[in-house]
Amino acid sequence: MLLELRNVSKWVKSGGMRTFLLEDIDLEVEEGEFISIMGPSGSGKTTLLNVIGMLDEFDYGEYSFLNQPVHKLKSKARAKLYKEYIGFVFQSYHLIDELTVYENIEAPLLYKKLSSSERKAKVAETLDRFNIVAKSKLFPEQLSGGQQQLVGIARALISSPRLILADEPTGNLNSTQGEEIMERFKELNKEGVTIIQVTHSEKNAEYGSRIVSLLDGKNLSN
Amino acid sequence: MIQNYFKIAWRNLLRYKGHAFINIGGLSLGFACSVLIYLFVQHNLQYDNFHTNSDRIYRVVTEEHRDDIDFEASVPPGFAQAFRTEYDYAEKVAKHALWDNELISFPDQKKLKEDVAFVEKEFFEILNFPLTHGGVADLSEPNTAVLTETMAKKFFGDYDPIGKTFQLGGKTLFRVIGVLKDIPKTSIINTEVFLAYSSIKDYSQFLANENGWGGISSNLQVFTLLHPNQSIPAIEKEIQGFVKKYRPRSKNVHHYKLQALADIHFDPRYSGGISPNMLWIFGLIGFFLLLMASINFINISTAQSVNRSREVGIRKVLGGLRSHLFWQFMIETFLICFTSLIIGIFISVLALPYFNDLFNLELDMNALSNAQFFGFVIVLLLGISILAGTYPGFLLARIAPVLALKSKLNPKDAGGFNTRKVLVSLQFIISIILIVGTLVINKQMKYAINSDLGFDRNGIVRVALPDTVNESRLNSLKDRLENYTAIEQVSACFGSPGASDNRWGTSLVYNNNPETEEFQIQVKIGDVDYLDLFGLELVAGRNFFARDSVDEFVVNEKLAEKLGLNSAEELLGKSLEVSGGFMKGNIVGVVENFHDMDFHEGISPVFITARNDSYSELAIKMNLENTSASIEYIEKEWTEVFPNHLFEYEFLSERVENLYESEQQILSLSTVFSTLAILIGCLGIYGMILFYVGQRTKEIGIRKVLGSSTFNILVLLTEDFFKLLAWAALIASPIAWYFMNLWLQNYSFPTELNWWVFALAIGMIMVITLLTISYQAIKAATAKPVQSLRTE
Repeated sequence: MLLELRNVSKWVKSGGMRTFLLEDIDLEVEEGEFISIMGPSGSGKTTLLNVIGMLDEFDYGEYSFLNQPVHKLKSKARAKLYKEYIGFVFQSYHLIDELTVYENIEAPLLYKKLSSSERKAKVAETLDRFNIVAKSKLFPEQLSGGQQQLVGIARALISSPRLILADEPTGNLNSTQGEEIMERFKELNKEGVTIIQVTHSEKNAEYGSRIVSLLDGKNLSN
Repeated sequence: MIQNYFKIAWRNLLRYKGHAFINIGGLSLGFACSVLIYLFVQHNLQYDNFHTNSDRIYRVVTEEHRDDIDFEASVPPGFAQAFRTEYDYAEKVAKHALWDNELISFPDQKKLKEDVAFVEKEFFEILNFPLTHGGVADLSEPNTAVLTETMAKKFFGDYDPIGKTFQLGGKTLFRVIGVLKDIPKTSIINTEVFLAYSSIKDYSQFLANENGWGGISSNLQVFTLLHPNQSIPAIEKEIQGFVKKYRPRSKNVHHYKLQALADIHFDPRYSGGISPNMLWIFGLIGFFLLLMASINFINISTAQSVNRSREVGIRKVLGGLRSHLFWQFMIETFLICFTSLIIGIFISVLALPYFNDLFNLELDMNALSNAQFFGFVIVLLLGISILAGTYPGFLLARIAPVLALKSKLNPKDAGGFNTRKVLVSLQFIISIILIVGTLVINKQMKYAINSDLGFDRNGIVRVALPDTVNESRLNSLKDRLENYTAIEQVSACFGSPGASDNRWGTSLVYNNNPETEEFQIQVKIGDVDYLDLFGLELVAGRNFFARDSVDEFVVNEKLAEKLGLNSAEELLGKSLEVSGGFMKGNIVGVVENFHDMDFHEGISPVFITARNDSYSELAIKMNLENTSASIEYIEKEWTEVFPNHLFEYEFLSERVENLYESEQQILSLSTVFSTLAILIGCLGIYGMILFYVGQRTKEIGIRKVLGSSTFNILVLLTEDFFKLLAWAALIASPIAWYFMNLWLQNYSFPTELNWWVFALAIGMIMVITLLTISYQAIKAATAKPVQSLRTE
């Protein structure tokens, strides 16, 4: 088992009332799965993804990732855990504008203890794999949306994560570009990478092996 | 990693050029000032630190205890010999007598005026002023002289000066026996001509007298090299015995003190070069300027953190820890500081000549190449990087990635909102204090210079007379000058009533009392025209008549007050014996008080009399219409009467201004630095209004749609700044009042600390702030609301 959520709830208080963002979520994810989280706006999809990615905290419940109790870890240990095993892909790509394609892809490696030659080798390999060697010196604003997302995925993959979390990765792309990206994810999944994506699109959800439906913070699929 | 940080720091600089300009501009100015101030402080701290045994070298000075205490950087002429023979504290003792602005003539008729010093042989054994070839100068033979290299060149050009002769003041012929290496600028000794002390007998019997204990001449300084490990207080106590032995009856009780060589430059009581307070003030101002620039940096960085938050969020998602992000920001700060420092050093190099000019200094850049300066710069660079970078770095590193990535971060989450307010207020406070300081110093200067001093100074020119003047020649010169139409009146005198180079304070016996009075009286000597020329008003009695013998005195009202008399009339007809019977006579007139000293000092009791052998200058009153022609005429006549001397003149009004030379310096200093502070502050405020307007674009749009006028919007945008200014004014005013009040206490005649000085300072800041923000505010207020709302 890759990760497991037990009775996870997250709420905000307003006027003494609890408004649940996530309510009593149970979720088990095995290695190699390709999961799509679906649901209407405000149903808590992104919040759930952020909780899984350890970017956001929750108020109640238990979360274990590779048998480590995430809810008991200090923030530094959590950061260490996700930087080791998780890669993120965002709807709006979130590349660093001031860095070139090469440097963006290299960025996660800077926070790991790698020598510069190891970094060079890894970045070169990744650029090659994604066919973007020619673009390595360009800045994000010089790329199309699809190309930027490709760089985003390349960046997410460079540290060889076990899990990819993708928040509407095709949301800002046209359909052709979107399909390309989804094909990439499918390939990656075949290679053994676990993927959890948030999506609105039924078509994209079909690439996955399982669908988790959320409504008002509750998991409907159980 | 670090390379990556530098790269992104550089790209960020380029991306936000405006902010980079504000940050680097402010910091560069701050660093430039710091470098100049460093040079200045460094220069002052180096005084006389180059002598071997510096720690054992002392100057002997005197506290004169009368009804008050006077400080004289000198001792009676008999002191040195007595200290040498009667005690065994000193390894060496040497007298140094300054003879300033004396005529030096050469066999080839060339003439110069230079300061010279008569020194005893041991002078060069105590202080290190070596000969060019390294030996120690020996002036034990009479009529010998040594010169510095520069002076030797000035005297004799490229000829070998050894063996050459020159005549001092038309009297003794001196033979040059050695050339000294130039004396460092950082020495209290700044004469460049040294003469054998034994020759002083031709110039001053008083100073030549080895047993003289009767008085003190400020021309004399006594230096001593003590044996190691002695208690200074014990020596001072012991040598108090001299007073009992040599001055048993004097009302002026001397206390001889040993002043360490290192302290001489810093003791204003003994007319030292600079008070340590000035160095502190300089240092503090440098710090304030850097603080203001750092505040700009903090304000801009924290306000900008919203822009930077996305990057921070991404980096955190990619595995960056808080510490990574903190250090990344610190490196950015360091890069900005480093760039600013380089520019700042460059600016300071360019500004140094002006700085020297302004403060009458001769600092040079050589001090910038040593290890100490390097250390200073490193400390400054790291210090300012930490001061400016820590807080914004901490705020940036704290940003939560989830919010940042969703662009849901509002300025309040980015933090520093209230901090920015406090910091802007702090800048206002510093600016207000500096401006109030500048205004008050300026006001005091104007007050001191433009007030009625009790004597006339306009159109009065002072012309020096040679040491020995034949009376008939003097009178013929007076007559010839008075014949010239533009010249109204001429008076021969010892010195002008106030602002005089020549001061002579002495003891007095009033009305044949058995005892000398507890206080000193100031001697003013002038001929019968003196009172009239200087416009001194008689309140009782009459002027003295022109006579050959000294027997009629005019005094001032202050004397009556000091003697405890009820009216000036009581003085008339009373006898006065001055300087131990040197002059004796009756008081025939009393004049109104006048400022015989600068505004630091009170008014002294004064007496005025005619005395033919004591005139050292001519006071010439002329109409101001064609002064240069008049001066030319005076020079011509003067040179005809005294063909072997050099003509010199000076306007009395200039001399009054020169009394406040150090204040002039402080004034230029505070003007320059408060201008810079305002400039740096403006940069910061401009940066803030940019953000402020940016943040409120939407709000402004909505308000305009709802019918708000442009003026309302302007008020909205500016009122916050004025609220901060009001707070700052409230805090700054009492602080400024306190310090300026303290400063004014240095004066016996202080200007009033009016409320309008504060109002003016605050008003100035208000106007400047308004001007700074107006462009951005007007731009925002007049923008079409449709555009600002559409962007959302």
